[in-house]
Parts: sequence; structure tokens; C-alpha cells
Amino acid sequence: MTLAQATMIDPPVVSWLGIAPELVLGVGAALVLLIEVQWKPSRTAIAWAGGAAVIAAALLSVLLHARIESGDGISTFLPFAGMIALDGFGVFARYVLLAVAGLGLLAAQRMVQEAGTRAAEMVALMLLATAGFSLMAISANLILTFLGLEIGSISLYVLAGYVRERGNSDEAAIKYFLLGSFASAVFVYGVALVFAGTGNFSIQGVHDYLDGVVVFEPGVILLGLALLVVGLTFKVTAAPFHSWAPDVYQGAPAGVVGFMAAIAKIGGFAGLVRILVSAFPDLAGDWAPVVAAIAAVSMVVGSVLAIVQDDIRRLLAYSGVAHAGFILTGVLSGGEGTAEIWFYLAIYAVQLVAAFAVVAAVSGPSGSRSALSDYAGLAQRQPFLAATFAVILLGMGGIPLTAGFVAKFGVFSDAWAAGHEWVVIVGVLASVVAFFLYLRVIVTMYMDEPAGEAAAAPLGVRWVTSVAVVVTLLFGVFPGPLLDLAGRALPL
Amino acid sequence: MTDWYMLLAAALFTIGAMGILVRRNALVMFMCVELMLNAVNLTLVSAGRALGSLDGQLATFFVLVVAAAEVVIGLAIIVAIFRHRDTASVDELSELKG
Repeated sequence: MTLAQATMIDPPVVSWLGIAPELVLGVGAALVLLIEVQWKPSRTAIAWAGGAAVIAAALLSVLLHARIESGDGISTFLPFAGMIALDGFGVFARYVLLAVAGLGLLAAQRMVQEAGTRAAEMVALMLLATAGFSLMAISANLILTFLGLEIGSISLYVLAGYVRERGNSDEAAIKYFLLGSFASAVFVYGVALVFAGTGNFSIQGVHDYLDGVVVFEPGVILLGLALLVVGLTFKVTAAPFHSWAPDVYQGAPAGVVGFMAAIAKIGGFAGLVRILVSAFPDLAGDWAPVVAAIAAVSMVVGSVLAIVQDDIRRLLAYSGVAHAGFILTGVLSGGEGTAEIWFYLAIYAVQLVAAFAVVAAVSGPSGSRSALSDYAGLAQRQPFLAATFAVILLGMGGIPLTAGFVAKFGVFSDAWAAGHEWVVIVGVLASVVAFFLYLRVIVTMYMDEPAGEAAAAPLGVRWVTSVAVVVTLLFGVFPGPLLDLAGRALPL
Repeated sequence: MTDWYMLLAAALFTIGAMGILVRRNALVMFMCVELMLNAVNLTLVSAGRALGSLDGQLATFFVLVVAAAEVVIGLAIIVAIFRHRDTASVDELSELKG
């Protein structure tokens, strides 16, 4: 365009409320660092400052949700020149992300206390990671999706190497960094190719373009789409792009691993669903078989390899690969399965944070040894921790009357209705296999002789596990309210 | 004309990706990531030129900024590793496995 045309462009619609939660998180991260420098407050106060930012962001999300539902006060649902989508999808994503951030901060309490002068950095990084993945979830433009992905991922690379005095932490950081930035480069090359093919960065624009014209040579667009899928399945640890996850989850400090794993999965799936369902529904015939294959491979590889692990963190990492596969089956049904995907993600993210909180309590918040044998007889040493961990594991395994069952049933029935029966059969078989690995941990905790003395679990960890147990059981018996809320989490 | 730039970018991206898979020095692997990001920039610019749209050029700035941020974090991590063990080879970082 020429300069004369450029001066006639209408200024974009600005909706500060639309990005208020992210603004609060970003400003909160900066404030936490400044407060630390200026006043040197106690570490508890720093943690509370981080918690206050998360709570403020959550309150603003509720306010924004009410505005979106009523439709008043929101002049457009695509403010900032179509960069941001104000929709139920983004609102629900923020609820889940902020819940994970709050629980993650609680679970990391002990680590914050041990972090010395660097406590503020850790809290700030957690807030920034939340803001990044939140931007990714509300983005209506592929470039903003990339920026959100990178803000979140780069924060997580630093968190992975946070305890730099200990060797394993920097090993985890370099592995996460090299493979993560590789995946990001693949993702952004996909963005560039989609732009080359369609002339659009905006998700709506890509959709309209593919809807409006018959593309005779879709090669560039399909290659771009494939790279987008590879980049994002990498972030959500779906097989065959999962190889980094066990090493990173094992080496990164236990106090934040649950937060890292959960928040990257939520952000990655939010981006993936938005891109596949909102931008490329017209190419579903091309991407559905690929996603089905990735889902099936993830479920099988994750479940089988989890069984042979004797380190609880690697076990949880491989079970996370299987869960990524389960959630991907929900993506197969296109827009129909969005509610079930969100239900699954919300439940699993809370369980994941709580499970790693237990790991941090048993093997120390910054340690990296977490052999399964450490959990022998945990029921006698720490009855409360063992009982809550057992419920969480049963919920992850998905036995009836836990939320995990409702979640699995939801995504499987969607995939079945969409005509992907074979993936559902693979998925059901894989969940049976996966169930044994959760039982194995429970048996170790309850049947084996106690091994050594464990320190008392910190109060924060007990709160986190209690919340996860309530979520697992409550939404297992009465899934209605959460399913209803997730049912309105649809992209524009 | 711009097709050739797109092909050059694809070649650069492939070289970068292969480098990540083949090379074992963390610094070289990191440079390969940067090569991939620059291939993305070349694609964006030439596609924007072919489409007659400024969006491609604009997006390049965002990719550049992200690449710079990655350099800061990546070099810091590599330096931390090097101080710890006097090596930047990822093959010697193999304590985590199972």
C-alpha cells in the first residue's frame, strides 16, 4: 500500500479489558522483580505478590466473561485489528491457566523458600509463562500465537534450569531449550508457509480464504499446516515428538515441573484446537488422518513406555504422552469436541500439578532423584499424602466416578461419532494398559514395606493435593457444571 | 522470481533442521536454530513481496525479536553448562535417562 492509503486506515479498536488478565500478569511479573530489588521483602511476601497477580487476573477474567456473555460493553469481538479473539474459548482457557498458575505457586512454596535471593525471579517467570500461554489461547492471529508460544516457552526454559547448582537441572534446560526452540522454528516456518499460500496471518482470514476459493495446488498450505501441527504436538509432548519430555521432567526442579508440564500442554492444545478447528476446518480431510495417527502412537507409546519406568517423574512424563494422545482424539471431531477437550485439559492439568507437588514433597523440591522405590510404604509414613496421591492417580487412570473417566469418555465418544472408531479402540486398550501403571504406584505406596523417613509434607502441597482430589471426585460424580462451562468455550 | 527465494529459504531451513539432528555441539545446534529462523524471515519477506502485502515484512520484525530473546536465554544456558562441565557437547550430557 502507498503512504496515502496508509494514513486513511481506521485506528484499530482497543479493548483493554480484553487483554486485562495478561496485562496484570505481565505487570505483576515486573512489579515482583522491582519490589524485590527495592524493599527486599520476605520470600513469603513475594509468593503472595505473585498469588495476588494471579487472583487479580482471575477476577478480571470473570468480569470479561460476564461482559462477553451479555454482549454489552464489547463493541467488537476481534479487537486490536483482529489480533485477539474475545470468545468463550479464550475465557475458559484463562480460567484453566490461572487455576494451574495458582496451584503451581502453592506447590512451589517450598522451592520459593529455598531459592534465596532468586525467589522473585521464579515467581516472575511463572507469571510470564502464564501470560504467554494465555496470549496464545486468546490469539486470533498466527503471529500472535507464535509470540505467545515463545513468551511462555522461553520462560519455561529458564525455569527448567532454575536450580543451576545441580547438574541435572542445566542438562534439562539445554535439552528443553534446543528441542523447544527447534519446534518453535518449525511452527513459525509453518506460519510463513500458510501466509505464502493464503496471504493471511489471521485465523479468520485463512478460514475465509480456504472457504472461498478452490485451491488447485494446496502443496504449500498443506506443508505449512503439517509444520504447524508438528510444532504444536511437540509442545504438548505427543509421540513421536515426545523424546524431550521425560528428560526435562526428570531434571527440572520438582517444585515447578507440574506447573511447566501442565501450562505448556494447555497452551499448546489451545493453539492447536484454534488453528485446526477455526482456521483449517476445510482441510479436515487432510489433517484428521495425521492427527489420528499421532494420537494413536502417543497413546500406545506413552502407556507402554510408562510401565517400564522406575522413576516416578519419567513415569508421569510418559503418562503425559499418553494423555496428550487421549486429548488429541477429541480434536479429531473438529469443532464438536472442543468442550470435551477443555474438560479433559482442565481436569488433567490440575491432577498433573498435584501429582508433581507430591513428588516434590517426597523427594525434595529441588532434588532430581525420585525413584519409585522412594514411595514404598508411603501410606504408613504419610497417610494423607498417599491417600490423595492414590485418588489423583486413579483419576488419571480414568476409573468411573472420577473426573478422568468422564473426560476420557467425552473425547472417545466424540471421536467415535466422527467416524474414527479404530483410534477409540486403540485408546481404550491403551487406557487399560495405562491403568496398570497407576495401580503399580498405588500398590507400591500401600503394600510395600516403608523405606526410610520422609519429611512432613508442606502445607501448600497438602492444599494442592486436596484441591485436586476435590476436583477429581466432584466432577467425576457431578460433571454437569464444568461440562456446561466448557460447552460454552467455543472459538469464534 | 520470488519462487527462487522461497526455494532458497526452504534449503536453508532444511540445512538448519539437519544440523540440529546431526551436530552434537550445543552452540552449533543453536546456530542451526537461528539459521532456521532466518529461513523463515526470508520466506516471509519473499511471500509478502509476491503477494504485494506488507504483512510479511512486519512479521519478520516479530520473528527477529523472538530470535534475539532466544539468543539471550540460549547462550546463558550454554555458558552455565560450560562452566559446570567444561564441555558443550550434548552427547556428554546424558545423566538423565531411563
